Amino acid sequence: MAALCVEPSTGGFIFENCKRNAVLQSKGLKGPTALKTGTTICGIVFKDGIVLGADTRATEDTIIADKNCSKIHYLSDNIYCCGAGTAADTEMTTQLISSQLELHRLNTGRIPRVCTANRMLKQMLFRYQGYISAALVLGGVDVTGPHLYSVYPHGSTDALPYVTMGSGSLAAMSVFEDRYKINMEREDAMKLVCDAIRAGIFNDLGSGSNVDLCIITKDKVDYLRPFDEANQKGQRQGDYTYKRGTTAILSEEVKKIEFDLISTKVTRVEPMET
Amino acid sequence: MFLTRSEYDRGVNTFSPEGRLFQVEYAIEAIKLGSTAIGIQTAEGVVLAVEKRVTSPLIEPSSIEKILEVDSHIACAMSGLIADSRTLIDRARVESQNHWFTYNEKMSIESVTQAVSNLALQFGDDDAGPGAMSRPFGVALLFAGIDEKGPRLFHMDPSGTFLQYEAKAIGSGSEGAQQALQEVYHKSMTLKEACKESLKILKQIMEEKLNETNVEASETLNLTAMATVTKDNLFHMSSKEEIEEFIKDI
Amino acid sequence: MSVITQPRSSFVEEYYAGGPKEVSFNPYAHNGGTILAIAGDDFSVIGSDTRLSEGFSIHSRDCPKTYKLTNTTVLGCAGFHGDVLTLTKVVEARLKMYEHEHNKQMTSGAIAAMLSTMLYHRRFFPYYVYNIIGGLDEEGKGCVYSFDPVGSYEREVYRAGGSAGSILQPLLDNQIGFKNMQNVEKLPLSQEKAIKLIKDVFISAAERDIYTGDQVQIQIITKDGVRMESFALRRD
Repeated sequence: MAALCVEPSTGGFIFENCKRNAVLQSKGLKGPTALKTGTTICGIVFKDGIVLGADTRATEDTIIADKNCSKIHYLSDNIYCCGAGTAADTEMTTQLISSQLELHRLNTGRIPRVCTANRMLKQMLFRYQGYISAALVLGGVDVTGPHLYSVYPHGSTDALPYVTMGSGSLAAMSVFEDRYKINMEREDAMKLVCDAIRAGIFNDLGSGSNVDLCIITKDKVDYLRPFDEANQKGQRQGDYTYKRGTTAILSEEVKKIEFDLISTKVTRVEPMET
Repeated sequence: MFLTRSEYDRGVNTFSPEGRLFQVEYAIEAIKLGSTAIGIQTAEGVVLAVEKRVTSPLIEPSSIEKILEVDSHIACAMSGLIADSRTLIDRARVESQNHWFTYNEKMSIESVTQAVSNLALQFGDDDAGPGAMSRPFGVALLFAGIDEKGPRLFHMDPSGTFLQYEAKAIGSGSEGAQQALQEVYHKSMTLKEACKESLKILKQIMEEKLNETNVEASETLNLTAMATVTKDNLFHMSSKEEIEEFIKDI
Repeated sequence: MSVITQPRSSFVEEYYAGGPKEVSFNPYAHNGGTILAIAGDDFSVIGSDTRLSEGFSIHSRDCPKTYKLTNTTVLGCAGFHGDVLTLTKVVEARLKMYEHEHNKQMTSGAIAAMLSTMLYHRRFFPYYVYNIIGGLDEEGKGCVYSFDPVGSYEREVYRAGGSAGSILQPLLDNQIGFKNMQNVEKLPLSQEKAIKLIKDVFISAAERDIYTGDQVQIQIITKDGVRMESFALRRD
C-alpha cells in the first residue's frame, strides 16, 4: 500500500500528464501560472575578478510574491550564477549544475572552471528547447582568471566583460554602457553594479526592493545580501492591532483527557550556569 | 398692424422693412381667438384653469383636453391651435423623461419651457430637427410645476419667447382676465384662494360670451377644467366635485 | 497599445504550411493605478496613486487619477489612460453644457447618473475605465459612487478600485465597515482617521502591487471646497 503513495524515483522530468493537460486546456481549463522573477541581474569583470548583482523582487503576474528573494545562486566555491525567469527553473537548474560540478571536482580533484559550468548549463538548456525558462548570468574565477557569461533559455551563451539579464536588463545595460571601463577597481566596480541594479529596481516594474552583490576574487568570495536597501517600507500612521476577543469563536468544546496516576516524584531543579 | 400689410407677410424668414416678422405676429394673433386659460402661482403650489369652448351642445365636453400632464411635477395649459400643441407637449414629455433618465433628477420647469421654446423657434430652419414645422406654432402654453426653486409658472408664446409669471391669462378673454388677476393677486395668496379666483374669473368671461353660444349659464361647471401642482400631490387634475365645491362659494 | 499575433493551431503546421497570419489590433492598454474613496458624515475623501505604467515600464511618476469636476464632486478614473483622458474631457464638457442649459451646478448624484448613461452608451465598445466618484450630496452628506466600465453603479460608503482595488477593499470592509469583528465600538469615521487610513492602505498596496507607487494624492471634499494633500510612496 505504502508504495502507491510514494512518487517513483526515476530521474529527470515526468511528462505523463502532458497529453491530459493539453486536452483539458483545449476544453478551456487554465493551467497554473509559475512564479516569475521579473528581474534585473547583471555582472561585470573588474581588475581582480567578478562582481555579480541582482534585485530581490519575485512577482506572480502583477502581484509581488516575495519582497526579498535571493537570485544569486551558488554553483561552486569559485562560481556563482544569477537567475532570471521562472523561479523554479533557475533554482533547480543551478542546483543540478552545482551538484554535477561538485562531483566533477571530486572526480578530477581540481577546482571547477567557469567554462565547464557554462558548457554544462547550455547543453542542458538546449536539450529542453527553451521550455526551461532560465536566463542566467554566470561568473567566477578559476585557474585561467575571471570569466563572465550570459546564458539564454534556449542554450546560447555569450562571454563578455559586462552583461545584464531579465526584464530590467535594458535599464541596467544603459548604466554599463555609460560607465563601464576595463580594469576597474573593486569599489568602483561594486558601485557600478549596484547602480545598474538600482536602475532596474526603479525603472522596471518587474524588479524591486534591495540590491544583492557577490564579489568573486581569486581566493575570496563576498556575498553581500543586502548590499543596498534601495527602498524603505512606508511608515504606517494608524494602529491596526485588535483587542482580545475581536474575532468571533463559532464553537467551543473542552475535552478532558483521561489518565491514570501511576507515580509522583519531586525533583530539585538545577539552576543553569554559564 | 394690418395697415402695413404687404408682400413681407409671406415667408416666415423674411423681415419687413420695419423689422417685423409678420407670420410670427399673426400666430400670436391666433392665440387671441383661442379659449381662455389662467395660471396662478402661490407659495403652496400652482393652479391652472381653462375654459372648454363648446360650440355645439352635441359636443362631449370631457373630450376637450386643454390641461395635460407633462411629468409628475409639471402641468401644461394651452390656448390657440390645440392640434399644434400636441407636438410641443410631446417634446416637453420626452425632454423631461430624458433628463430624468440621464441625470436621475426632475427637470426644472424653466428647462422644460426652454426645451419646448427651442422647438417652437425652429420654424423655417433648413435643417430643422424632427417635430419642427415650416410655420410658427399657433399655440401659447402655460407651464406650471414645482421644482427645487419651488412653485413656478411660465408662459410661452408662438415666437418661442418665454417669461415667468405670478399669474397669467391667455386666450380670447386674456385681456379682461389679466386685468382681473392683477386686481386679486397678492403674494400671500393660498392655493385655495387661487383656485377660487381663477374659476371666478373664468366664469365671468364665459358668462359674457354665453349669448354667443347655446350654452346655459348653469353649465359653466361642466365647461371648466382645473389642475394643481403641489409639493405633496404633484400633478392633480381636479374632479368635477372639487370644482363644484369651489364654484359653490363664488 | 499592442499588436498581437494570433497563434496558429500548432507549431508544426505553421512551420510547414506557412500561409497568412491573422494580425489583430488591440485598441486597449492597461495603465494601472489605484483609486479609493471614503464618505464621512459631512465630508468625502478620494485618493489615487500617481504612477502611470504599461507592461513593465513606468510612463510617469506624477500622474494623479483624480479629477475635480465641481466644488462638491471629484471623479477618480483608472484603467486605460487614453479612455480616461477622453472620458473626463467629455464629462467636463457635459458639465458646462448642463450649467448653461439649466443655470445650476450638477449635483454629485446627477453626475453619477450621467456618467452611468455615458458608459452604457458605449456598451459594446466600452471606455476601459474604472470610475469612483467622491463628493457631497444635496444635504451636504459625504457620498461615494462606484462604477463598472459599462455603467453599472451604486452609492456606497467606501470603495477601492483600479489595479490594487481588490487587495484594498477587504481592508476597508474591516476598518470602516467593521466586518469580521465583534465587541468593537462602531465610532463614526472622522476626517483625520479617513486621511490616515488612505495613506496607510496605499503604503500597503505599494508593497505588493507593481502598478501602485510613487505618490498618493488625496482630495478632501467638504462644504468649504476641495483640499489636496500628497504623500510619498515607494518608487520601485
